[in-house]
Amino acid sequence: MSAPAASLTDAPGRAARPSKSRDRKPRAPKVRVQHTGAILAFVLPFGILFGLFYLVPIGYAIYESLLVIKREGTFGAATEVFGGFSQYILVFQNGPFWQSIGRVLMFGVVQVPIMLGLALLFALLLDSPLLRGKRFFRLAFFVPYAVPGVIAAIMWGYLYSPNLSPFSAVTENVNFLSADLVLWSIANVVTWVYVGYNMLIIYSALLAIPTELYEAARLDGAGQMRIAWSVKIPLIMPAIVLTAIFSIIGTLQLLAEPQVFRSFSSAVTSTFTPNLTVYTTSSIPNVNLAAAFSVVLAVATFILSFTFLKFTQRKEAK
Amino acid sequence: MRMKKRAVAVALLTAATVALTGCATSGSTGTDAAACAPSKGKVDLTFTTWIPGMEDTVAVWNKANPDIQVKVQTGPNGNGGTYQNFFNQLKAGNAPDLGQIEYDALPNFRVQDGLTDLAACDGVLDAKSDFVDWTWGQVNFGEDKSVYAIPQDAGPMAMFYRADLFKANNIAIPTTWAEYTTAAEKIRATGGYITNFSQSDINQFAGFVWQAGGKWFKNDGDKWTVDLTDPTTTKVAAYWQDLIDRDLVSTNPPWTDEWNNAYNSGSDWTWNSAAWGANSIASGAPDTAGKWAVAQSPQWKAGDKASGNWGGSSTAVFKGSKHPYEAAKFALWLNTSAESLTMLNKSANLYPAAKSGLDLPALKEGVPFYGDQAIYDEFAIASAQVSPDFVWGPTMTQTYNDVSDGFKAAVSGKGTLDEALKVGQANTIAAMTAQSIPVNK
Repeated sequence: MSAPAASLTDAPGRAARPSKSRDRKPRAPKVRVQHTGAILAFVLPFGILFGLFYLVPIGYAIYESLLVIKREGTFGAATEVFGGFSQYILVFQNGPFWQSIGRVLMFGVVQVPIMLGLALLFALLLDSPLLRGKRFFRLAFFVPYAVPGVIAAIMWGYLYSPNLSPFSAVTENVNFLSADLVLWSIANVVTWVYVGYNMLIIYSALLAIPTELYEAARLDGAGQMRIAWSVKIPLIMPAIVLTAIFSIIGTLQLLAEPQVFRSFSSAVTSTFTPNLTVYTTSSIPNVNLAAAFSVVLAVATFILSFTFLKFTQRKEAK
Repeated sequence: MRMKKRAVAVALLTAATVALTGCATSGSTGTDAAACAPSKGKVDLTFTTWIPGMEDTVAVWNKANPDIQVKVQTGPNGNGGTYQNFFNQLKAGNAPDLGQIEYDALPNFRVQDGLTDLAACDGVLDAKSDFVDWTWGQVNFGEDKSVYAIPQDAGPMAMFYRADLFKANNIAIPTTWAEYTTAAEKIRATGGYITNFSQSDINQFAGFVWQAGGKWFKNDGDKWTVDLTDPTTTKVAAYWQDLIDRDLVSTNPPWTDEWNNAYNSGSDWTWNSAAWGANSIASGAPDTAGKWAVAQSPQWKAGDKASGNWGGSSTAVFKGSKHPYEAAKFALWLNTSAESLTMLNKSANLYPAAKSGLDLPALKEGVPFYGDQAIYDEFAIASAQVSPDFVWGPTMTQTYNDVSDGFKAAVSGKGTLDEALKVGQANTIAAMTAQSIPVNK
């Protein structure tokens, strides 16, 4: 009982912090190992790529966010000078940015539980002996994830469009692209794309549960519902936590779907989500302010996912 | 732990070095006038554009100029992503030699130090008389001794209208904006809309303001003045607000299938657009071929003769190009030779900025989509009526975004065009201040 559970608990711990603090826990015992060369050889390829495409850009963004532009005259050439935290002051004074954070948080509070609930339901159905045609359904649920996000958004935008939609009987009466509904129309697209992906993570966690447990539960008189509720869900909790953290991060970083919806919905502004604000600011181009937005957004994402992880881990410990 | 600290320090140092080098290139000053000398040997140039059919035109040049070979790279239209790429490439120091830039974006590129002053290049200053006056004003910013791009096409505005529908319903073609409102009421009574008010083509709205005599920006050399809320702009905004409030115009997001459908199905009857718009209607509303015609824009006062301009672009040579001489030579050919201008008119309905281009045989012919009307004659009249004094600001991408956010709210009934312009005004001043661009507050 404890073996699979323990190995599963490791999984989110490692994967949920994809990079930032990866080397915090596991490193300590390894320091004393003698094979420095071998360790280096194994770590180097990762280390170089990680440094080049992760640390350096982050460092560069932080550096840029600390600069301000100075120039003389109406067309004077720009020079970047150190400006301390002045870009961050602008970030904290920027109303639309914080509104957009509020908007995606509201989005996440509603969309993430629905999406993960569906993913869990589908995974349990796939795992239950009652369902036929498992292979077909597993693929069918997963297929939307293979559709690139932008294409999915364009496709759904067409389905939502008031006059051209194949379901125009509905869309002529309910404007899915209006200010009241567009956030949830986007939530629907995101759910459609990612349910299958999350389902697959949860499903593979289900496959890792030893079948003896089910036999034992059946001998104790448990039905399929009871097994799902009392055996399966508690054992795959770590996988659910993992998908939840991925989803929280994904929510705060929403970009492609709202960016596509912007062209055909009057309700999606250039600052609809935090990442759209970053994108818009960098197209001014004001890279320094855009960098400050990104850093604040990254910190907010980190705090949120970390708090969630701590919260769920404490619950598990109980 | 110590190792980690060191790693972070190294990473930050690397980042700082990268950043400082980037800083050094962006801080360096303009190309020396004497620097525009021919290069030795064969030269390869890169040219990024979104004009359909540009490859074919450039192929003609490449065939005739084996020593100056131009490679065309295509991208989305300027504000659709290409400008952002240009800005990123300029910061990274790997911009193409030449780029397509609309007039309204030129000040933005100049303020970001992205343009090469071509005044010293062979034949460029003398080319001034070859171009329609106001287009030259857009590329030299009113300075006699500089030229920051070669004008390519202009977007003089006129009114495209469904001649068949106006006739069948016995509605007079409006010649003033007051008549336009009357016509809008009559058209609405038949179930159609006179036009679509665009929530995101702020440059079209700017064209309306331009026609009415408004000016959004001034640059006196010391400071910019932003004036998105002057009485003229307010008047134009109030005019369209009234049409929106009374549901006399449709408000489909532009350039979408819904928008095309509104024109293709005959629901929208007119479009106040530029010469290049001829291409947009023909491709977006193919079922209406032969039913359209072009007339001069409605005027604010009966008998006036004023036109606005929407779009039009130039060929600029980016800062950092090693071959400004050859690039300028190509840009001049591209935008003045009869062969090139004819091809670009055929492939993209470009309306030349070069005076000689206005007399091209191709621009005298009747166009079948427009009932064989010689539509470019109308645009020639409009072009001559465009005021040369309209100045664009140095952060137009931002101004457009902010005003468009407000216009979107206005067409959804959650605000007014006037409020949108006020927000645009405040945000434009803030965006300029953030980059230390001197501006009157």
